[in-house]
Amino acid sequence: MIDRLLDNARGKVDGADALWRREEQTSVAFESGRLKAAGISEEAGLNLRVLANGRMGVAGTTAAKPDAKELVARARASAELGESIDLAFPNPSPQSLSPIPTFFDRTANASLAELIRMGRLLVERLAQPGCQVNISVQREVADTAVGNTAGARGEYRTTGIGVTADVTRIAGDDVLMVYDQYVGADLPTNADLEALVRSVETRLTAALTVVTPPEGALPVVFTPAGLAAVILPLEQALSGKTVLQGSSPLAGKVGETLFDARLSIIDDPLTPGRPASRPVDDECVPSRSTALVERGTVGRFVYDLETAARAKTQSTGNGRRGVFGKPHIGYTNILFRMAGSAAAPISDLGGGLIGDIADGLIVDDLIGVGQGNVISGAFSHPVGLAYRVQRGEITGRVKDAAVAGNAYDLLKRIGEFGRDGRWLGARWSPSLLLEGVSVARR
Amino acid sequence: MKDRLAQSLKQSRADYTEIGVERTWSSAVAFRGRRLETATVSEDQGGFVRVLNTGCGWGIASFTSLDELPNMVTRANELSRAVRLDEPIRLAAAAAHTGDAVLDLDGDVRGVALADKKKLLDRYNGAMLAVSDKIVDTQSSYRDEVSEVWYVNSEGASLYQLRPEVVVSGTAIGRRNGTIEKGLESIGLRKGWNSVQDFESQFRVVAQRAIDLLDAPRVRGGAYPVILDNELAGVFIHEAFGHLSEADFVYENPQAREMMTLGRRFGKPVLNVGDNGAAKGLRGTLPYDDEGTPTQDTALIKEGILVGRLHSRETAAKLGERPTGNARAISFRHPPIVRMTNTYIAPGKQGVRFNDLISDIKLGVYACGAFGGQTMLENFSFTAGWGYMIRDGKVAELVKDVVLAGNLFQTLDRIDHIAGDFTWNQMGGGCGKGGQFPLPVTEGAPHVRIEEALIGGDV
Repeated sequence: MIDRLLDNARGKVDGADALWRREEQTSVAFESGRLKAAGISEEAGLNLRVLANGRMGVAGTTAAKPDAKELVARARASAELGESIDLAFPNPSPQSLSPIPTFFDRTANASLAELIRMGRLLVERLAQPGCQVNISVQREVADTAVGNTAGARGEYRTTGIGVTADVTRIAGDDVLMVYDQYVGADLPTNADLEALVRSVETRLTAALTVVTPPEGALPVVFTPAGLAAVILPLEQALSGKTVLQGSSPLAGKVGETLFDARLSIIDDPLTPGRPASRPVDDECVPSRSTALVERGTVGRFVYDLETAARAKTQSTGNGRRGVFGKPHIGYTNILFRMAGSAAAPISDLGGGLIGDIADGLIVDDLIGVGQGNVISGAFSHPVGLAYRVQRGEITGRVKDAAVAGNAYDLLKRIGEFGRDGRWLGARWSPSLLLEGVSVARR
Repeated sequence: MKDRLAQSLKQSRADYTEIGVERTWSSAVAFRGRRLETATVSEDQGGFVRVLNTGCGWGIASFTSLDELPNMVTRANELSRAVRLDEPIRLAAAAAHTGDAVLDLDGDVRGVALADKKKLLDRYNGAMLAVSDKIVDTQSSYRDEVSEVWYVNSEGASLYQLRPEVVVSGTAIGRRNGTIEKGLESIGLRKGWNSVQDFESQFRVVAQRAIDLLDAPRVRGGAYPVILDNELAGVFIHEAFGHLSEADFVYENPQAREMMTLGRRFGKPVLNVGDNGAAKGLRGTLPYDDEGTPTQDTALIKEGILVGRLHSRETAAKLGERPTGNARAISFRHPPIVRMTNTYIAPGKQGVRFNDLISDIKLGVYACGAFGGQTMLENFSFTAGWGYMIRDGKVAELVKDVVLAGNLFQTLDRIDHIAGDFTWNQMGGGCGKGGQFPLPVTEGAPHVRIEEALIGGDV
């Protein structure tokens, strides 16, 4: 498909690259503990980018039998309006692609009955009076092919599976929602599913008692899930795009130590077993890991081909594209690395960080993350799921409280790193104890 | 196409079968700063099959290759039969509607050159950049589409709908040294090219606001009397109550049903709330929902009392109520679920104005515009674009980072005054639920006063 399209483009344009992707999903959904639905979805699409007269254009299609000529014509029409760009398509040698496992037979071959079995196991383990348990299991198998007119080709297959557990407990007018997930390229083992059960149960049990929230500038433990609001500003600021546009607070700060010296953050497309891992990006650039923050110092920004060309640097292999629209910057797997953390891992709520807290919070979920002025680093959110910590113990769940702070200020000095590092989607992090977080209550 | 779908229906061996096919023509233009990001035309198409058998669950298939349709009907049936249920899924009775529903295209976007769309957006984007050299970045986008949707089911429904949509939005980023602020304008209409020609001044206003916010202090955290402007009041009712009125949240959960018993008081008599998918010309408007049910105006709260909720055919059957035309899917890639359409707080007494709402407030916050909102049912957030302090009955200084923390049982009941200045806020973006985002919805409200609401920030 790709070859035919690129052959068709040759001679009509100065250069082109393309992505073809076919995805098959199988899913089962349990609602209130009952298996209610099973579904499949099949989708294939083709995305083409061309350079014509130094200008860039794109076109995409989900047609079953794509008309290569029509797609090239549409991309050329798009290029006529496009900006000029000095972009060179890469042609890496096939040897430069890291062989990483992205496809797991067990996942690809898992039967509908096997997916139902996993869901049922969770339903049975999580069932308790007064709680509504919703479970979904979704398995995906995808084939990807990328190529360009410089001669580069990349092909790989991926598998992915997501298991989500939602427990809603309504008692009178109190609504408690606890959520967790398993996401991987390989099927979860029974131990993985048991860990999911324990995680949900731990957080549910600790939430049964409702206590008054504290108020003031307090120590707050952000769990891996609760950290989203703190990490989002960094993800935006470390994108080569916002740097180019002049809206990143980190622009021009490469080499400066702006964060706690124990903190490193990397983008790693080569982590085995993760659904976001891949040997090559969507623009034929070989995958490699990128140190975004190294021991507190701003390392490298992430780029795709276009932003790299504009910034006169190299793509970091973070090009991502869908069927429609042009390639853009996307992170793969984000990993937090802490210097000098050798302590044995634990799965306790709070990651072992609450022992020294006289009065504070554990924040596991915030509401409305991503909806403020994110790039500035400032955040302010009502708590979705949070616990009060008093004299080193969790005393109960707090409601009707809001936490606020600035990610850049808070990450300058991290109180401590938790021992509960884990994957959450495409991010691996432990809990972080951050000091001086504003907590408001009614 | 209808014949092709009818043919596939006939071949289905399931007790109930529905088939949808969608073909969407769209074009998009985007600027980032002074640079054009993209200008593209796309065509997307695919199909959706959902079947039900007695004593079994839903079998669902979605696909981009329409040649696969007969095969997908068979596979959906197999999937349904793999799901055994003790308590069967029932669908509320619905008249089988047939016919074509073609919404006004108001200047068919398919007939407008991409270069003209670029020119239009360039004008709006340029208007933001021209406000100040402190506007360091912008994100502007124009997107239009015309969607053709065919729907048939084994009860005899056969519909063709033509749905246009056009969205223009712009974010202006103002920066002075380390301080970065943004202003956001977004217009989303179920209309066409003619309706998006005249918004230059709005884009200038948001860019100026991003600049003004550079000097504004963060709001202090705490509980305040709060006035919501029309836009934020609309987002508020969507998050605070709209999602709870979606019956898929209560229909399988006895405790939730008890909490949301019809007849329960949620607000003062001044509060009236509804959802109207049949309102004329709004972005959430549809003649029929994605199960072929006609849309309607559904009262949710009348004089403070819960009187209704939003249904699909399945949730309506389970609760012994009637379908309301709220089963919606963002595309053929997803099954329809219970969603809002155009959700509103009805206007208060005519003649009640904004000034009447603030005159007796000693210290409060006037929260304006909306960056978004999210709900966890009892607790929810709604994020203002900007705000002003209210001091001694008057609007005072500009403040930023105004994020409100709401509680269903406390915040709704503390709405004590509602102005008469109702407007629909036709924004772009949309609503997200169950992995389906963005669904076109509209919200409408007048100015609303909440006696006391929690705002996050330093205390």
